[in-house]
Amino acid sequence: MTAQTQENPLLEGLNVGRVPEPCAIVIFGASGDLTRRKLFPALYSLAYRRLLPDEVGIVGVARTEQSTEEFVDAMKEAVKEFARDPFRDDVWDLLAAGIRYVGTDFANDPGMDEVMDVLSELDEGHGTRGNRLFYLAVPPVAFEEIVCELGERRQRAATGWVRVIVEKPFGRDLGSAQELDELLHRYFAESEIFRIDHYLGKETVQNLLALRFANGIFEPIWNRQFIDHVEITVAETMGIEGRASFYERAGAIRDIFQNHLLQLLAVTAMEPPVDFDAESVRNEKVKVLRALHTPGPKSVVRGQYGRGFVEGEEVPAYREEPGVAPDSMTETFVGAKLYVDNWRWADTPFYVRAGKRLARRETTVAIQFHPAPHPPFAELAGAGMQPNRLIVHVQPNEGVSLEIGAKVPGQGMQIRTVHMDFLYGGAFRQGLPEAYERLILDALLGDATLFTRTDEVEEQWKLVDAVVAAWQRDRPSFPNYQAGTWGPKAAEDLMRRDGREWRRR
Amino acid sequence: MTLAPAHVDRWSGEDVSVARVEAELGELRAATGRGGAPDLRTSVLSHAAWVPPHWAEQAEAALAGLEERHPSRTILLFPQDPDGRHAIDAEVSLHCFPIPDQENRVCSEVVSLRLHGRKAEAPASILAPLLIPDLPAFLRWRGEPPWGEEPFPQLLGVVDRLIVDSTEWPALPDSYARFAEVFDDVAVSDIAWARTSRWRRQLSSLWPGIAEVRHVHVRATPAQAHLVAGWLRSRLERPEIELSITPADRFEGIDVDGEPAPFPPGDPPAPSDLLSDELDQFGRDPIYEAAVRGSLP
Repeated sequence: MTAQTQENPLLEGLNVGRVPEPCAIVIFGASGDLTRRKLFPALYSLAYRRLLPDEVGIVGVARTEQSTEEFVDAMKEAVKEFARDPFRDDVWDLLAAGIRYVGTDFANDPGMDEVMDVLSELDEGHGTRGNRLFYLAVPPVAFEEIVCELGERRQRAATGWVRVIVEKPFGRDLGSAQELDELLHRYFAESEIFRIDHYLGKETVQNLLALRFANGIFEPIWNRQFIDHVEITVAETMGIEGRASFYERAGAIRDIFQNHLLQLLAVTAMEPPVDFDAESVRNEKVKVLRALHTPGPKSVVRGQYGRGFVEGEEVPAYREEPGVAPDSMTETFVGAKLYVDNWRWADTPFYVRAGKRLARRETTVAIQFHPAPHPPFAELAGAGMQPNRLIVHVQPNEGVSLEIGAKVPGQGMQIRTVHMDFLYGGAFRQGLPEAYERLILDALLGDATLFTRTDEVEEQWKLVDAVVAAWQRDRPSFPNYQAGTWGPKAAEDLMRRDGREWRRR
Repeated sequence: MTLAPAHVDRWSGEDVSVARVEAELGELRAATGRGGAPDLRTSVLSHAAWVPPHWAEQAEAALAGLEERHPSRTILLFPQDPDGRHAIDAEVSLHCFPIPDQENRVCSEVVSLRLHGRKAEAPASILAPLLIPDLPAFLRWRGEPPWGEEPFPQLLGVVDRLIVDSTEWPALPDSYARFAEVFDDVAVSDIAWARTSRWRRQLSSLWPGIAEVRHVHVRATPAQAHLVAGWLRSRLERPEIELSITPADRFEGIDVDGEPAPFPPGDPPAPSDLLSDELDQFGRDPIYEAAVRGSLP
């Protein structure tokens, strides 16, 4: 074997990070908040760690008229403000050398031609070799134009690989999601489509997989025999932050429940995949989503916040937010009792809730185990005897806690619940990578494990459509919870009817 | 990211027992958590260092920044006058660091033991009870170990990994022959090797042009030069590769068959970063072991 064809023996043991092939990243919607707060800081952090190829180009495309220099300056400020790594001129200068900006309205043919010209220039001058990652950080209304323009031009000039990252919301119901899928599949193979749900890029969500499948003690008890119920909470203290036009159409069920919440449920409930390959992981997740029993109307609660206090500040009601209709019926809270109809989880409720302007910002998955069957000191121990709970803190305070009963020192046998905590910030004294860093890098490498597949999206929409259909038949009295609380009373009742309560600590 | 400890609690005592040291550690931990959110003892390893007097300053400098990144128990063993009194003097400190957005802190323990008289003859018996059970134990040895002489073998017997810096060894590459003899007894790390990693990455980018290399000229410490040459010989299966060295305090450059290799990008890592990275390694490093063997004449 000649050296030309032999694998490079010098690389072995060098712990070289996965560096993608040379490529151009095209961000549609480059003047938006996502680009400024998340995408460019993530790209900078990847460059900081030398995880981007030297030959990388970044093309910002948006309607805003500005020069490349102005765009570069704006992104530099964004990186300084939002990146998790210290700003280094040498890192930024290398990245900035490949940045271009095209101001165009997406439906505009000459504008897209200009994007293609810039890409050709990057191929020739920057060595990006015809490889393209298109990031659609645009409102859904702009998807069709962009996808068609890209697809048609792709057919004319196929060179390197092409991948498309699609931001949520992926449709607003099953029908529109299928239409969007059909459109994408007209031009791109499923392996080229990366539907982003940034929750899957979070270290703590991936740690849920590590917790379950890298520890022999948990998986044997991860089932209906040992687990009483599961609680998944995605709680925000924020309001809609100026996104009224989006939120009025989406509501909590499309904004959070349909994607983040159901994905967290799928990762919690899935069977062990045979390997960590994209298809293996997604095959197991989709089985859970298919097994989700459509909840009846009594098992779903919706709410909308009224005025209240959050962290000491008085905040307006949802209907008083700028851009929101004064009689809006959009839900800002959704809670549900779901069942996964399979052998592992039969009759084990998954209580899920997501909402805005709740009492505390937290995303957690709490596994509550059955109580001890016959503690010999039950009478003496009194109310301190609680079932064990394993809590995965997705954010903030990333980590895992196990609640166990411990004897209070002294006479008698009084029991109190104590926490055994694993905190990421305590054990691993390094910053956690941002979800977008991981996901952009994975897309550049063609690894779709942490992206949602078309069948997952469809299953998620089927459930949501069924819930929303039932909502058409009644008109709840909104607002029905005060900002800064844990949601409407009906959410409490949802669990109380089963003799349970939401955890609040 | 290196943060100054938010809080340091200390205790010290002369002529103390190991049990007393353990008790005082427990007392410090209990005291620091009183009256607020309990501080976390999230140790991930035990880290011991055998520090002859002339290495004391460097050992303490390397420790700075390390404890914050690796919540751990560090046990520094300082051998004192072998003919003096027979006693252990101890200083125990708890270094607590803030956790972002948290009330509680994470604490590392540092135990400094001065071993007087014959107490320095059996340090493994002092170290073993102080290692945190079930966590990996690392031994940092300053200078060249006294191959085959106590207390080196006994300390190797109670740890999982030996960390050296062969830059500190005077007789290279001959000392590597003795070093290779311990590979089957304990996993090893060499900070001199870690310092070459950015250059090795750079050289790997020269593939396949470098496949037939015949001679390298290295401007670096002798340890770095021998290790890089040994690495090329072993990885490329070309034991005939010749080495010439221009000694320097750090890795300044390498010529491959007369052609200078491009300078690697970025800054070289700090000493505590290098040690910290080695503490993340647990298994044997066959590439390094082969490089050591490849460096031998």
